[in-house]
Order: sequence, then structure tokens, then C-alpha cells
Amino acid sequence: MNFFEAIFNYIGEIFTERLSYFPSNIRISLLIILFCAIAVIELYFYIAFRRASQANQQRQIENWKEHIDTILANLLIYDETDDTNEIIEHFYPKIKKMPLRNATVNKLLTSEIITYHKNFTGKTAEVLSVLYRRLNLDKKTKKKISNKNWETKIEGIREANEMGITEMADHIMKYTDDESALLRMEAQAAYIKLSQTDPFHFLDRAQERILDWHQLVLFEIITKNKKLVIPSFSKWLRSPNDTVVMLCLKLIDHFMQFDAAEEVERLLKHHNPKIVKKSVEIIGKLELEDAEQHMFEVYFDHGEEIKLEILNSLGKISSGNYAEFLSSRIYSNHTRIKREALYAIKRDLDNGENKLKEIYHQTTPENQALIAHVLDSRIKQ
Amino acid sequence: MREFLSTFETIFNNAIFYYAMFVMGSYIVLTLLSAIEMNGYMKKNSYVNYREILVSPLAPSVSILAPAYNEEATIIENIRSLLSLHYGNYEVIIINDGSKDSTFQQMLDFYKLEKVNFSVDYQIKCKDIRGVYKSKLPSFSKLTVVDKVNGGKSDALNAGINVSAKDLLLCIDVDCIVQEDAILKLAKPYLEEKYKVIATGGVVRIANSCKVEDGRLVEVNMPKNLWPRFQVLEYIRAFLMGRMAWSRLNGLLIISGAMGLFDKDTVIKVGGYDHDTVGEDMELVVRMRRYMYEQDRRFKVVYIPDPLCWTEAPADLQILGRQRNRWTRGTIETLWKHKDLFFNPRYGVLGMLSYPYWFFFEWLAPVIEFLGISVFILLALMGNINWEFSLILLSMVYFFSIALSTVAILFEEMSYQQYTKGSDLVKLLLAAFLEPILYHPLTVYWAVKGNIQKIRGNNNSWGAMTRKGFKDKKNSAETEQTT
Repeated sequence: MNFFEAIFNYIGEIFTERLSYFPSNIRISLLIILFCAIAVIELYFYIAFRRASQANQQRQIENWKEHIDTILANLLIYDETDDTNEIIEHFYPKIKKMPLRNATVNKLLTSEIITYHKNFTGKTAEVLSVLYRRLNLDKKTKKKISNKNWETKIEGIREANEMGITEMADHIMKYTDDESALLRMEAQAAYIKLSQTDPFHFLDRAQERILDWHQLVLFEIITKNKKLVIPSFSKWLRSPNDTVVMLCLKLIDHFMQFDAAEEVERLLKHHNPKIVKKSVEIIGKLELEDAEQHMFEVYFDHGEEIKLEILNSLGKISSGNYAEFLSSRIYSNHTRIKREALYAIKRDLDNGENKLKEIYHQTTPENQALIAHVLDSRIKQ
Repeated sequence: MREFLSTFETIFNNAIFYYAMFVMGSYIVLTLLSAIEMNGYMKKNSYVNYREILVSPLAPSVSILAPAYNEEATIIENIRSLLSLHYGNYEVIIINDGSKDSTFQQMLDFYKLEKVNFSVDYQIKCKDIRGVYKSKLPSFSKLTVVDKVNGGKSDALNAGINVSAKDLLLCIDVDCIVQEDAILKLAKPYLEEKYKVIATGGVVRIANSCKVEDGRLVEVNMPKNLWPRFQVLEYIRAFLMGRMAWSRLNGLLIISGAMGLFDKDTVIKVGGYDHDTVGEDMELVVRMRRYMYEQDRRFKVVYIPDPLCWTEAPADLQILGRQRNRWTRGTIETLWKHKDLFFNPRYGVLGMLSYPYWFFFEWLAPVIEFLGISVFILLALMGNINWEFSLILLSMVYFFSIALSTVAILFEEMSYQQYTKGSDLVKLLLAAFLEPILYHPLTVYWAVKGNIQKIRGNNNSWGAMTRKGFKDKKNSAETEQTT
């Protein structure tokens, strides 16, 4: 009997004949050993199988991608004078010959058509849209949107959005206030692009939060889409949903909507400090001199962050009405307040820097250092 | 006497058995939680277009704080790499912590720096700042260099915080290789969580034997040296399994010192990094958490599984030992400083779960293991060991350890699959077999040594960390920081 045979016999023996005679902790240990050994072997096989299957799928994708790209690249040579139906009749049979029942091929074809559609305009985009429908991929998209699984719904909404399937806008609308944050964001993003009549209608009914991330995504979509008719966002500033108000404030800021001035000023008394801060920022950016007094009145009611923003805005407006107030702030106990007040004074293009130089000679060494900091143009605020 | 020894052996065997079962049970729970968290993260982020944050004016602003001490060999390259990260609104603040070599001069010359009239608002205590420098060249406008008196890593970071002009602080080790999209991914949780996020961390990976060009990682390879290879496995286990699970429970106690993104306002309110510990990364997170509990504010500390930062792991046992020794001392210092958290219901998950877990499993486990081995040897010498039972108990721990590492490798395979070569995968799987025999006993030894040093009241030394660097051996940079 060789060494390994002896080991195997011993292991066999303790797991069969002797197991019941061991104390309970040793029995449990033996069972854990057995479980772990089997688990490790199975995991090894699984990892190896997964790698092999991945490699195989990758090969398949590479082959079909090349084939699909070749077909789709040929679409690019056509221009507006060519007949869409003729082009489709030429390419459709070639695509139909592909094994479209194969999930990998089908998914690849869908994603390639979408990518080309996203990157090209004019005739190419038009042909791809028609081809998408002719291949019944739009029906699949619709099915996906109606699926119970939120991930599939998102996939469908993305496809509809990328392919510009406007008739699905109403269908997507119901998800714009869904409990699932990801789903409602996708739906809102798609609705803005697909709705032909009222792309911002979802803001009227939004009860769920529009998270900061979603606001960022929606902001990008709204500000980059040149075809979109931009409404006056002030009409949503009375929304009971603070996140809707916040998104609209960011858009008012971006589009410089002066017509919102009155509503923005009203928000200085809002219960949400983030909204107050943003309103103050907009007042400064739009240089709303009429709101200066209101800002001054609420200055002492707020914490440091809003105070800093008010000082900043007073500096941007630079009407001169609050020059005394700004000068008095440099004797505050808070360095940030002092610095912001000095920056605000500096913003007065006519006399700001001279005023600071004047203060420099009359103030404390600490303030002198701050003034030198503020006057140093190499330091960004 | 023989009867006493026999009873003692039975009690000893049972105690070790039940402790091992407890530890193993906790690992299984953490693995399951981690799987759920990873799955959720991967699903959620498969739809994300990170370019949206990259270009958006609404993205939070970030200050990168990188302390540098005697980094002359790599500093220029490191800064260049930090300046080319993919993010819109960020600044890079390099804090020269009183380097004795030419680190500062090199920065002055290469980046054409000049002193500006920066008035530092010392919101957090730190050693004197000698000057703040900006580049004359517009292309390096994002760069700020702070020159200060040597005070150690924590002090340097605190100085950087005082100079920072942005909302979030990305605290990193200057010699790390940061993935280009690291800030994008770390900043996202700040925009999407219901509650205030106070810190985010990402996975740190081992860069030994990887191909690095112009400060960028271009090819991932398994380390040729065995010790870093074990650390690859250890890091995968710790980050993909441990920290993801704690993130799920909102009970994370540590964001790696190599890279972490923090909410500046909260960091300032808690007083910045602690100078009196070598585990400043863990201590800061614990202090921030307890502050939020004391303020009755809901918050989150988030971990994301993306590999965002690559670091050179010690390949030399002596250096590795020093690092582990320091980690142990850091853990003890943090646990001791916040001992009132222990099973304190006022601090929720922190007091009732995270702190006790760290106490029993992170700090106490190696100590108990060491005691167990010592008693085992003693009993063996006295001839009072049931060798068969002992072997079975040891085998149980060994097989469990292999199974756990294999599951960690599976996580890696199913998520980011950084090691694409089949040979690398085989090496990693083999390392799982050798690690419990070759590497683990050493980590126990270093941890016990750290405990002894701490009990004997040894100093707060970081110990020398010699790095080979990613270029050639001539360019090796030696960093040594002493608080």
C-alpha cells in the first residue's frame, strides 16, 4: 500500500466507519471539511467553465459584430436623394439571413443599430429607424417596457429613447414617478426627448424625489438638446416637491430666466436651506438689484453657508447700496465671512480694488493678509 | 496532573472550535451580504454614463490632497498623472511635508511654481505652512503646492484641508496609480443617496508586476513574487467581500488611506486627521461616524467595488512586517480611543456591530490564534495532545480558508475580472492553497508583535516603506514618515 492509498483509506474510514464515534465538535468539523472541499472543487469547475463560455461568446460576438458592422457601414453612403424603401429592400434580406433567434446576435444587432442611429443623422438615421421597425425590434422594445422586471423596463426605455420612438412617450410617462429611482430617472430622461407636446409634464406630477444625480442627468439632457422648446421654469417653483424646485432653479440659473425673478426672490423665505442658497446664488448671477434688500433682511436669520452666498451675491450685484455692510463684515469672527466680504468688495469693478487697498492700511495684520490673498489674482476664489 | 491536562485539552479544543465557528459564521454572513451589495451595485451602475458627471457644472467640486515626503524619484510623474484625471471641477494639492530630498525643488522647477499671498485659514490644527505655491503656466492652473514643516501624513493632510477650496476631499497616497475615472465613480454616491454621504472608498489593488506607462496602468499582471501575490488575494477578499458587506450594513469603519473621498464640511467639524495615531484613516472614519450619531443626523459611508487605485505592495518580508505591525497598532489606538462605543446603543450599528466586530475579529483574532498555537505547542511538548482531533480542527480552518478565498476569486471573476490571463487565474487559485500555510502565520506574528509594541508603549513610528517604483529599480523611492 503506497502513501496516497493509505491517506485515502484513512480519510474514507473517518468519514464512514468512525464518524459516529467522534465527539460532536469533531463530527461538525469533518462535515465542514467535506462541504468546503466539495464547494472548492465545484467552484473551480464553475470558474473554468465560465471562462471557457465567456471566450466562446466573445468569439461569437466578434464574428457577428464584424458582419453587422459591414452591413450597417454600407448604409452610410446614401444621401437624401436616395429612396428609403429601396435601401431597406436591399439590406433587409441580408439581415434577415442572420440567425436572429440567437439571443446574442439579436442583442448585438439591436445595440449596433442603436449606436449607429445615435451617431448619425439625416438619411442614415432615417433608414436605421425604418429598419428597426421592419425587423420588429420596436415591438420588442415595447414588450420590454411592459416587462415586470425594472431592469428590462429600463433597457426598453433606453432603446425607445435612443431610437426616438415618439409614440411610446405616453407609455413611458407612467414610469416617470415610479418608486424605483433608476426607472423613474430613465423614464423622465426619455420622456423629455420623446414627448411631442409637453416634455416637462412629468414635473407637474412628480411626487418622488428627483435625486441630485438625476437632476444632473436631466440638466445635461435639457441643456444640450437644441431642439427642445424651453419653458419658463418659474411655474414649478411653487411645487410641493423640493427636488422639483431645485432642478428648476438650476435650469433658471443656466438659461438666465429673468422672468423668474419675483418667484426666486420669494424663495428666500423657503424652509429648505438648499433652495434658499440656490435662490441667493441666482439673484447674484442675474444681478437682481431689487432683491438686494430682501437678501440683507434675511442675512442674519441664516447659517454660515447662506451668509457666504449672500455676500457673494451682493458682490456680484455691486450696486453700492450695501458697501458699508460689506465693509463691516470684515470684522466678523469667521475667516470665511471676512474673506467672502473682501471678495464682494473687490467685485466692484470701478472702485473695488482701491477700496481694499484703502482698508488694508487701516485694518489688523490678519485682515491685511486676507486682503493680500483676495487681491492676488493667481489664487482662484 | 494528567487528568487536569486532559480536561484542559478538552476545554481548549472546544473553546478554539466555538471561536472558529463564530468567526467562520461571521465570514459567511459577510460574504452573503457582500454578494447582495455587489449584485445591486453592478446592476445599478450598468446603466450609468459617467461622462455626465465629467462635464456637468452640477458635479461636486473635489480637492485631491496628496502628501509628499522624500518622493523625488517619482513626484513629477505622479503629479502629472493626477492632473490628467477625468473630472471637471477639481484641484490638486500636493503637500510637501518637509521633504529632506529634492522633492520640493523638483516641483518648483518643473511646474514653474511661484509663491502666492495665500492666507491660510487654520480651521484644523497643523504645523506651520511655509508657503503656498501656484504654477505660472496656465496648463497647470489646477495645481497648488503647499510647503510645510514636517509633521507626518495626518498633519500634511490637515494642512491640505486648510488650503482646500472645494466641497469634497480626495485623500490619496501620492505614489498610487489612480484610475482616470476614479473621482467620477467616488463622487457619484454623494449625488444619489437619500442621506448625507460623509465618505466613499473604492477598491485598492496591487500593482506589482503590472505594466505602467506615464503614470497609467496599461496592463494588469499577477505579481511574480509570492508575497505580493498573497496580498492580491488578501486585498480581493478584504475589499470585495469584507468592505462591500460593511457598506451594505452602513457599518464601515475604514476607508483606505491610499484613497478615500470625504465630505470636507464633516471632516472640518470633527477636527481633521488625528496626529496621535498611525491608523489615522480608520480613526477619522470612526470619529466622523460618531459625530453624525451625536448630531442625530442620518448618514452613509459608502464603498464601491470598482478598482480605482493601484498600489505597490511590499515584496520584502521585513517591510511587509512593518506595515502590518503599523496596521495593528493603528487598530488598537482607534479602538482604545473610542472604547466608549463598545456595545453602546446610542451609536447604532457603529456601537453595536462594527466596533465589537473589529474588537473581537480584527484585533482579538490574531491574539487568540497566537495563544491557541502557543498552548497547542505546550500541550504537545507535554504529550497531552490528541493529534487526530487537532489535525481535524486545523484542517477545518484550512479548508474553510481555501473555500473563502475561492469565493472571493469568484467575486472577482464575476465583477471586474482584472486578471484576464488564464495563467494569472491559476496562480491566484494556487495562492489560495498556500496562503493559510505560508502567509497567514506571518500576519499573525506581525499582529502579535504590533500588540506587544503597543503594550510596551513603543513610539508612533510608521517605519520605513521602501518602494521599488514602477519604472526601474534605480528610480526607487524611499518614503519614511514619522509622527
